[in-house]
Amino acid sequence: MSFNTNNTWVYKISGRNIHLYQYLYSATTDVLAGYSIRIPDAYFGDQLVYPDESITAGLRFEGTAFIESFVNNDPNELTGSNANPTLTEESPTETSHVNLSRMLSLAVVDYLKAQKYEASGNVELKEYYMREFWKKVGDNNSNKIQTGMSYTSTTYSVK
Amino acid sequence: MTVQEIIERAGIKEANLGIAYIKDAIHLIQSQGNDALATWKVDIVDGTRDYPLPANLIKLKSISIKDTNDDKWKKIKRLLSDPTVTEDNSP
Repeated sequence: MSFNTNNTWVYKISGRNIHLYQYLYSATTDVLAGYSIRIPDAYFGDQLVYPDESITAGLRFEGTAFIESFVNNDPNELTGSNANPTLTEESPTETSHVNLSRMLSLAVVDYLKAQKYEASGNVELKEYYMREFWKKVGDNNSNKIQTGMSYTSTTYSVK
Repeated sequence: MTVQEIIERAGIKEANLGIAYIKDAIHLIQSQGNDALATWKVDIVDGTRDYPLPANLIKLKSISIKDTNDDKWKKIKRLLSDPTVTEDNSP
């Protein structure tokens, strides 16, 4: 039975794997005649041990992935009843829609231009379009963040 | 925006090359931000320390462990340094 997992489990990235540990503040124990007993001379204190129980679907990763990148409908258009469009992933063809916002789609156009100019040896234009690409990606990210700014003004200030 | 529209706007004539570039651009976008998040769930096995990262993961956001006491996955912390024991044959 796992409990307080946010405090009792830790991980470490090791190449393409993660190492999963349980944090214990105790000594090595064993069960004798139904009683849990501390093993003589066992170290008592902070310990990191391998997971000591099996949990079905217990480890959850969250991250970005290359999923549903090409879909059958325009992801930026609502349906007639103002609902989000139903998107089905498909193998990319010329008629597929790229599953990105309008701003990110425009960024992708800049990326393609950058690659085109790089292939033709025009590094200056390639750099220009890569800057445009990252600028639009940054704009897209900041579009989701609302910040408030307040300023003090003096009594007789002109507004 | 359709693949064709993107390729035409960029002035690229080969569709397959254009699609390959679009995939590269999406990878870059996903590695920079959190545009499309996914989750993966894996079984934890008693005594097993190593678990592979999902093969199609681009950028890791968090790792959580299921608290079976209240049926919730809770975000766990990353170790900053290596533990003293590098391998344990009798965990």
